[in-house]
Amino acid sequence: MAWKFDNPLYSLSDEEQNKRAITLWEAERHGDLWAANNRVPFPVTLLIALIVLTAFMMTMPIWGQRPTAELYAPMVQMMDSPQVKGMATNKEKIAYLTTEAMKAHEQAKDSRLPGLLERHPITWSDLQLMAPAIREIQSSGGTYGLESYTVVGDQVVLANFEGMRRPDGKRLRTQPWFDTGFIIDMFYVSYFIIVMVLVCKRLPHFSQKANPKKS
Amino acid sequence: MLFKYLFAKNEDIPSGSATIFFGFSSILWFIVGTGLGSFNAAKLAFPDFVTGVEMFAFGHMRQVHVLAVILGWISMAFAMTMMYMTPALGNTKLWSEKLGLWTAFLWNVGLSLGLTLLWSGFTSGREYSDLIWPIDLVVIFGVLLPLGINVWMTIAQRRTQGIYITNWFFGACIFMLITTFLVGNSPELFNLTGLTEAYLTFWFAHNVLGLWITPVAAGIAYYVLPKLTGNPLYSHRIGHLHFWSIIAFYSTPASHHLLSAPLPEWLKSFASVEGVLILIPAVAFVANILLTMKGRWSMFVENVETKFTITGVLLAIPLNMQGGFQQTRAINWYIHGTGWIVAHAHLALLGMSSFLEVAAVYFGLQQMMRRKLYSLALANVHYWFFIIGFCTYWISMTIAGLIQGAGKIYEVPYIDVVIAEHPYMIARWVGGTMVFTGNMIWLYNMYMTAREGTLVPKGRYAHELAYER
Repeated sequence: MAWKFDNPLYSLSDEEQNKRAITLWEAERHGDLWAANNRVPFPVTLLIALIVLTAFMMTMPIWGQRPTAELYAPMVQMMDSPQVKGMATNKEKIAYLTTEAMKAHEQAKDSRLPGLLERHPITWSDLQLMAPAIREIQSSGGTYGLESYTVVGDQVVLANFEGMRRPDGKRLRTQPWFDTGFIIDMFYVSYFIIVMVLVCKRLPHFSQKANPKKS
Repeated sequence: MLFKYLFAKNEDIPSGSATIFFGFSSILWFIVGTGLGSFNAAKLAFPDFVTGVEMFAFGHMRQVHVLAVILGWISMAFAMTMMYMTPALGNTKLWSEKLGLWTAFLWNVGLSLGLTLLWSGFTSGREYSDLIWPIDLVVIFGVLLPLGINVWMTIAQRRTQGIYITNWFFGACIFMLITTFLVGNSPELFNLTGLTEAYLTFWFAHNVLGLWITPVAAGIAYYVLPKLTGNPLYSHRIGHLHFWSIIAFYSTPASHHLLSAPLPEWLKSFASVEGVLILIPAVAFVANILLTMKGRWSMFVENVETKFTITGVLLAIPLNMQGGFQQTRAINWYIHGTGWIVAHAHLALLGMSSFLEVAAVYFGLQQMMRRKLYSLALANVHYWFFIIGFCTYWISMTIAGLIQGAGKIYEVPYIDVVIAEHPYMIARWVGGTMVFTGNMIWLYNMYMTAREGTLVPKGRYAHELAYER
């Protein structure tokens, strides 16, 4: 079981170990079956690299932002205006408020807001139900602002993000673009790749083919 | 006839008895499972079909269908393959044929009891782990553990130095399934509620699929295809890549099933990345099997077991493409809670996994009974009923899911979505019923094989002989 590190990309086992493995490979049949010592084809390796990259890119929270209370604040502000009250149907009211909120968000610093509002439309009845909570958060001047509250249906709740801290020591409740989960994943994937390289390179190099006819 | 061996001495029981017992049981459970599926689909397609009887309400029947398929058909087909592949790969005999027979017997009795109780309304109320805790314990200690002991001891007593890849999957997956059952059912055993219960419920559902239903099926393909084609498995090291990536990436937290739940967001991010990474074992598996087919592609047309196996392997591609991406925040937002998920679940269980198992059951029963398949024509009819029925189901439910997703996001009134989906519900019923019909043809074919199939001489494989019909 000797290890050899002089040519790690070729094999991590010494020649004697490799020879023993090939001899066993040629002598042993598992119910008439055997597995050849072929390499992992290059396109497969490339595909795996692409999968790892895609896994991180595709799952970034940025692609699945949750609606925050901040999104609907302009709507709450305008919902009691005479203009909205004068509208005949709830459908008209919410359509008007959405358009106005969209305009407000387009001018805001946070460029994610218009897209988020488009993906998370709201009904008039839900807006009515959550409006008191949004007003209360705005008026209380508490630790967290509207951007730290998530809207789930008609509920406004403090967002469930963990792992990041603000300068005052409290937890940041806004969705980070890269959170603790991704850091754990990076370690996980790194360990996996290291272990797989060790496992594969301990085998005889793929150029050393077992010859089944010998057995 | 097999019952008489239950009380016989182990040495007096012919090799392959447990395989045959499990094999025919699995086909029967497949018929029960798909029959219930067809019945349930009819209720969704035609809402006036069988009403007024509480026992036949969808809420009573649905989970019986699911568990009949998972624990009856799929798991028994797995047990069947383990009973003949594990010893064959170790150049030895099954550790205990008697234990195998008793496991098959108790499995049938326990599952019948469990599903009857479930049908009567005794349920834990948790999706996929619906059985009540006494039945869970029967499954763990009366079924899975004896199966595991038989497989592990057979591997331990092998007459080879190495262990072939199929046996890695068999040995590891039984262990992981027992762990999944113990941990996944802990909410009921220890009265855990709320978010913990929700999380563990989907941890169970996630791992039953990823550490049992799909990897064992893949392990089966690693045996069946080289056996049929006579080619060696393309690459031992790709096998390592497949096996260890399943262990590393699938067994991790299942919180991507609960993206809308108030679980810590970092846990969801972690699980979501791992969710995409399941494409690594998928790529490894598909590449290894398809490269093993080199020079033998004509068998895809000529040999029915190869046809089933390759179809199953090809279905692993859309299965993992869907599975990998549908659990990301961006896509899950649209398809969560829709028929898309139902289509995906059927792609895993009825598509990829079942096609591979059907091939193994065809192959194994012929080998163990030493009889050539009674009718190739009927087997081909089975295949085409299965593939057309399955695709009809899968495609119709995928479209229905996309309609539901649009309805959900744009807040279309629910009843309008129901009306829009109606044609697809009918297609779903037609597809499912075709699969059910095909399975009845299969049972007849295997029964006739047992009775009238041409005897296979010792030292020969059934697929090497020419068909007589």
